[in-house]
Amino acid sequence: MNSFQIITNNPSLEGELSHRYPEAPIDVSFRKLSFRSVLTAVRDEIHGGAKLLSHPLSGSVKPLETPYKSVLIERRDGADLDLDSLSLIENAIQACDKFIEQDRIHIPELQKDFQLVDRSLILTAVDSLLSDF
Amino acid sequence: MKLELGKIFIKDIRFAEKTALQDGVLSVSKDDLREVALSEEKIKTVSFDIAKPGESVRITPVKDVIEPRVKVEGRGGVFPGVISGVDTVGSGKTYCLKGMAVVTAGPIVGFQEGVIDMSGPGADYTPFSKTLNLVVLCEPKEGTEAHDYERAVRMVGLKIATHLAELSKELSPDESQTYETLDLLEGMKAYPDLPRVAYVQMLQSQGLLHDTYVYGVDAKKILPTILYPTEDMDGAILSGNCVSACDKNPTYVHENNPVIEELFKQHGKTINFVAHVITNENVYLADKERSSNQTAKLCKMLHLDGVVVSEEGFGNPDTDLIMNCKKIEAEGIKTVLITDEYAGRDGKSQSLADADKAADALVTAGNANQVVVLPKLDKLIGTLDYITKIAGANADTLREDGSLEVELQVITGATSEVGFNKLSAR
Repeated sequence: MNSFQIITNNPSLEGELSHRYPEAPIDVSFRKLSFRSVLTAVRDEIHGGAKLLSHPLSGSVKPLETPYKSVLIERRDGADLDLDSLSLIENAIQACDKFIEQDRIHIPELQKDFQLVDRSLILTAVDSLLSDF
Repeated sequence: MKLELGKIFIKDIRFAEKTALQDGVLSVSKDDLREVALSEEKIKTVSFDIAKPGESVRITPVKDVIEPRVKVEGRGGVFPGVISGVDTVGSGKTYCLKGMAVVTAGPIVGFQEGVIDMSGPGADYTPFSKTLNLVVLCEPKEGTEAHDYERAVRMVGLKIATHLAELSKELSPDESQTYETLDLLEGMKAYPDLPRVAYVQMLQSQGLLHDTYVYGVDAKKILPTILYPTEDMDGAILSGNCVSACDKNPTYVHENNPVIEELFKQHGKTINFVAHVITNENVYLADKERSSNQTAKLCKMLHLDGVVVSEEGFGNPDTDLIMNCKKIEAEGIKTVLITDEYAGRDGKSQSLADADKAADALVTAGNANQVVVLPKLDKLIGTLDYITKIAGANADTLREDGSLEVELQVITGATSEVGFNKLSAR
């Protein structure tokens, strides 16, 4: 059965999502991973049949200039590999690798802002998804 | 649709007891403007400063830049749907205060605002070192959320610009220019032999703090649509975003979009400039498909021969750029794309996060990862508290001698993807 999932390393997302959309059929898979590892985790899901629903490079804050990344996917058990999703995630990982990790991503007082931007961007994707129902 | 744009050249700005505009000199009363600014309830305090071209002044963190404009004849008012009503704009007569800008500043999201240097090497990289800048620094009330703060600062900038532009209503402009776009049928009759060209403008619309407004509507909620190119000159499109400083389009750039200017210069000579098509850059992939499908459809409906497409931002919008390009080209319409690059500090990496063989005509506005050193300047308007945190900077940015080593990303307008600055590459 198909289901929706957000793969994220943003600890603020789950609470906000369930607060805003208590009934939303979306599972939040929080993982303690780096920005790049979130992308590779998404790639693994795509190889397992999942389809990308949000752009992996959403946001103006570039890869490695923020620690947080959330990506919305549709899990499709047993489905064929979605080549468009694979191409997007591979391009995103390649784009990620050209950025130098910024030390500012570890600054404690910036974490809330980084989380806010990532959270708000993925929630616009959730808005669009829910309006499709 | 025909618009006469009257230009009133501003030669100087100074603080005075009373706000007035005479002989090209703008006198500004801080008390007067403070009253305008504090009408926004989320703003706790506001302060003002003036920065002039050539001065040893650095302004940061910069949010938006706005050119004051006012409607003097014809329908509607400037910044429709936000400051004025929702009448369709772009016709009649509008006055603008040329040579100056209202620059809003404040640490809305600490890592997303920009830098304007008024002299030195940094000044060469920002178009806003050439304007007389009235800087408006806004501080929010305790507990104000980032998006409420953004909205409040956006409104303060627009209100102050409008307030100042009103001063010119009874004046005679120093120079006037008329722009006209004929209706589709008349245009076809008038220029039967010229290629039909439109401008497709992609608007930043990824979400909170990444928004653009069209007649007051959040651009992520629009289907692509068609404007007369002069509507933009009356502020129909305005910036509500806090994205990378180098390649976001401040409101000033929307009012003075150089793609529109250049297409008008060629209109009736080498091309028939038919329309301004606007589309968005959403995060949700199905939205991207929908918007690029609609954009290509509109281009076909307009029976175009060619389009110029401009992007706003990096990464996620690269996908919209390529989708627009592929789908418009598939309709038999030639495309030229304008973008900037994130090609790494050495410029050797892949420039865009997406590509396609249909994208065979592309103009770059420079590499945002290019490193520059900005020497210490005598005066700072704003604060350097965020300088090591903004996109394109790092902990070593602020050097012992007070100079800054940064990527072009931090400089407002440095790699403008509508070509408002001078950078490019071959």
